[in-house]
Amino acid sequence: MYLILLPILFPILAGFCLLAYRKDPGRKLLTITTGICLVITGALVVVALMGTKQGLTLFHLTKKLPIYFNIDKISVIFSLLTVIVFLCAGFFSFVYMKHEQKEKRYYGYYLMAFGVLNALCFAGNLITFYLFFELLTLSSFPLVLHTGSKEAVMAGLKYLFYSLCGAYASLFGIYFLYHNCETLTFTAGGVLQISPASREGSFFLLIAFVMILGFGVKAGMFPMHAWLPTAHPAAPAPASAVLSAVIVKAGVLALIRVIYFIFGTGFLQGSWVQTAWLTLTLVTIFMGSMLAYREPVLKKRLAYSTVSQLYYILFGLAVMNEEAFTGSLLHVLAHGFIKSTLFLTAGAIIYTTGKTRVDELRGIGKKMPFTMWCYTIVSLGLIGIPPTGGFVSKWYLAMGGLTGDIGIFRYLGAAVLLVSALLTAGYLLPLTIQGFFPGADYDDTACRKQEPARLMTIPILCLTILSVLVGLFPNIITNYLTDFVSTLL
Amino acid sequence: MGPNLFVNYGEAVAAILFCIGFTNLLLQTNLIKKIIGLNIMDSAIYLFLAEKGYIAGRAAPIVTNGVTSAEAYINPIPSGLVLTGIVVSVSVSALMLSLTIRLYVRYHTLNLDEIAAQLKKEGK
Amino acid sequence: MDFICNFPFFSILLSLFSGTICSILPGKAAKIVNRVVIITVGILSGILLVYLLDSGESFVYWMGHFPAPWGNEIRAGVLEAGMALFFCIIMYLSMAGGAHKLFDEVEESKHNLYYILINLLLSSLLALVYTNDMFTAYVFVEINTISACGLIMIRQVGRTIEAAVRYMIMSLLGSGLLLFGLCIMYDLTGHLLMSNIKESVSLLIQNGEYQIPLIVSIALMCVGLCIKSALFPFHAWLPDAYGYSTVSSAAILSSLVSKGYIFLLIKIIYRVIGFDIFNSTRIIDVLFVFGLMGMIFGSLSAIKEGDIRRMIAFSSVAQIGYIYMGFGMGTQAGMVASVFHILSHAATKSLLFIAAIGLTEVSGGSRKFIDLTGAGYRNKWAGVAFTAGSLSMVGVPLFSGFISKLLFAQAAVQVEGKMLAALIVLGISTVLNAIYFMKTVIRIYTAAGDTPYPCITFKDMKVHAVVLILFVILNVLLGVSSQPIVNMIEQGLAMFA
Repeated sequence: MYLILLPILFPILAGFCLLAYRKDPGRKLLTITTGICLVITGALVVVALMGTKQGLTLFHLTKKLPIYFNIDKISVIFSLLTVIVFLCAGFFSFVYMKHEQKEKRYYGYYLMAFGVLNALCFAGNLITFYLFFELLTLSSFPLVLHTGSKEAVMAGLKYLFYSLCGAYASLFGIYFLYHNCETLTFTAGGVLQISPASREGSFFLLIAFVMILGFGVKAGMFPMHAWLPTAHPAAPAPASAVLSAVIVKAGVLALIRVIYFIFGTGFLQGSWVQTAWLTLTLVTIFMGSMLAYREPVLKKRLAYSTVSQLYYILFGLAVMNEEAFTGSLLHVLAHGFIKSTLFLTAGAIIYTTGKTRVDELRGIGKKMPFTMWCYTIVSLGLIGIPPTGGFVSKWYLAMGGLTGDIGIFRYLGAAVLLVSALLTAGYLLPLTIQGFFPGADYDDTACRKQEPARLMTIPILCLTILSVLVGLFPNIITNYLTDFVSTLL
Repeated sequence: MGPNLFVNYGEAVAAILFCIGFTNLLLQTNLIKKIIGLNIMDSAIYLFLAEKGYIAGRAAPIVTNGVTSAEAYINPIPSGLVLTGIVVSVSVSALMLSLTIRLYVRYHTLNLDEIAAQLKKEGK
Repeated sequence: MDFICNFPFFSILLSLFSGTICSILPGKAAKIVNRVVIITVGILSGILLVYLLDSGESFVYWMGHFPAPWGNEIRAGVLEAGMALFFCIIMYLSMAGGAHKLFDEVEESKHNLYYILINLLLSSLLALVYTNDMFTAYVFVEINTISACGLIMIRQVGRTIEAAVRYMIMSLLGSGLLLFGLCIMYDLTGHLLMSNIKESVSLLIQNGEYQIPLIVSIALMCVGLCIKSALFPFHAWLPDAYGYSTVSSAAILSSLVSKGYIFLLIKIIYRVIGFDIFNSTRIIDVLFVFGLMGMIFGSLSAIKEGDIRRMIAFSSVAQIGYIYMGFGMGTQAGMVASVFHILSHAATKSLLFIAAIGLTEVSGGSRKFIDLTGAGYRNKWAGVAFTAGSLSMVGVPLFSGFISKLLFAQAAVQVEGKMLAALIVLGISTVLNAIYFMKTVIRIYTAAGDTPYPCITFKDMKVHAVVLILFVILNVLLGVSSQPIVNMIEQGLAMFA
């Protein structure tokens, strides 16, 4: 029964020990230890997922507020994504972090964030979730300000400030829910027993909106997205990969939990909250793509792309029907794999060439063909060209949008998805084109092969393959989810 | 209200004195004047208490001529309170005065604002 | 009557007399006496608490065996005993944590004086907690003020003396108002014992007599105690007093002295005026508004502050605002939240003060933020403890601050008219808290290039580190197992009625 605690406590404790250990263990030992810890944690997650049959109440904060862990299918999907991305980015960083300082601190917080994320996936009620949501902010923000430059510290502060504000906005809602609900345990279909038409109901719609905005901060929802393009590029590349692929997904997970497991879709369907939410998501999708299109710095461009892509997911959640929800979960996986690959390739490029702007990277495909091939494949995936991962998820999202009971958004959604896909092509592919076809005036003779070390290329390859697999065999996931999704709606 | 005020003129005076003392303690910048304000304030309260304890036509609460009936004497408790209060206010005044002396020795002024300005200049 | 019923009286007397004894002892011996007294009183209060929890009802203790309207009384219930125990714990930890600093900052010859003051402070706090007599309460309020003033100025620099003068002035204004209000109350009811006054007051209310003087009296007492506990507009003296006195004093002042007055106010509300009558006056609205303003303006001042000790002091203003906001809600739940916040704030604030001193020590004694850069690495224990305290202040779950915020919010949800105002201000103030505490935490963990200041290891600061750990544990304990404590508070408040 206590199995579920292992993948939470082990990495947190390991990270803590690493931070508390006073002497410098030397690079080799440090990376080996971290590597072992990561692998063990991954194994523990799998064991916990296999072995857990029932929830675990750890202790009670107050009478009505137990710290409670449980595993359902949502937890499985998110925790598997977490494990894979964390392992790959972790191994990648063993090489990458060579040119950064204070590696011990980095790995310490990296492990802690890993544990906290696992806890977030396993959290079985809102208060446990909130606890680890706060801890996630606290343990991930040292990763953002890791380089310690003024810019990074400011980015870190911005991240912290936005996240805390968002968390408190949601806490505001939790206060009311705590007062009005029998329990805050995540229950498929929701626990709120109020009709939206009543006077109290209209108030709770407002609460729901505040909570969506509050948790949406973590997922970079417009207009509170400003931290994301600042914070992600400031972090070291593997950390940005983790941030972009997994940690922002905590915001998505939060919204799934709050909307589908606390409020219940019946409460929000057709209300002004849904309309406002849909509007926000579409605006964010479009705006994120536009900003990414205009951005010359590669990592920043990817961060803006994250803003936009996350809102595909949230759009699917906001539609509130089965196809769209399945599409969202598929896109969570697809985007997780794709975006981490993109950030890791960007990291590999920065590591070998030291260049950060897209226009400086002409001919990069000649120097680093393998890396750029991976980049291209996942880019195609993100644009949504079959058979890669992005295609299937966007298909489901568009289908869900078209069949959904959401009025004008039915067509608007599909249109925005299409336009944004074009823009995605517009901001991702120039690097491929310039990289492989630098033009006639490019001096071929000067370039030599500069592929990075194995430890960097293998994680990139793994993630690329996975992103393709999601596209090739989406049935495994959709079949796994079918029954579960229908209980939610 | 009017006739009450007239009958209880002692209490009214006490309240006015209290206000005078209070304002002095709060607003004067000179420390000695502050302490005077403090004493006025405290005395006003003692006046109030004494006024409340006194019942016209009765004797001080000391048994005289073997009369033990409570009707003959005034209420002794307010007087007791006044005594206690005086002890407290004396010690507080002494403490304030000693603090004032220390400040004066250091900064050669009794004006609290000037002392604050000097402290700021010292920058500690 | 059981022998245990003598314990409150014993505790007060013990600390009072040990204060006198300390005056003839050398510094070292005085220190030992002081520690022993605090521990003894703590144990006595603990036993009393267990006894009261067991018996389930409060008792009244006649001083000098005179019955009700004439004699002086002590009264003990669960809340009183719990408070006394808690005060002893905090006081002991604060004393132990700041002991090494005392040697640097206070002349050797004055050490025993310091312990006299501490003992007197303890006795007056205990008396405030236990007494059932209004005038006794007043006298001990003054003793409390005098000894607190001594605690501020025991470190003889210009700032502390000035702060002590300012503290005295504000306190005297407060106690003047309290005394005047008390005299009017005596005039109206003819009693000084709390229970007797309460009967008369409810009679007055029933007959509709003397309404205005009654309100004036209640208002005067409230304002007096508000001034003394540094509610928002009356907080001008606080940053200097907490910021420059020696660290034990700062910790004790912020976490105990102001709380003693607040506890007295709670007693007055429940045992003198009556909870319902108090709530029917408009005074609670005033308290509510000033509490909210304190929460915001205290935090804003703290954000602007460039000195870590003064920043923590300003944060106290905000936290006291929380407590008064709880009073202002006028519900049982609000009161419970306030009492819990008294505990939580006391545990957190003294932790922060003691941790801050550890940080300034490794920064050449400077408390400016710029010098504190990287202090968290130089003194790891203090850094971690400060972070824990900050997290508690910000309201991260698992720490005590979260529970008190939760309780406040829960209370606010139940009050129709004040719900939104309370929750919004609670949110804003939490964010503001987060800004300045997180700013500090980041500052102390920003790597400093090369500093001339030494690192400190566990060996150099054993006592300090242990105290910090105990404080953190206390905090987490309050945060994790809050339910029994909340139950105890509810039980204690029920006994008040």
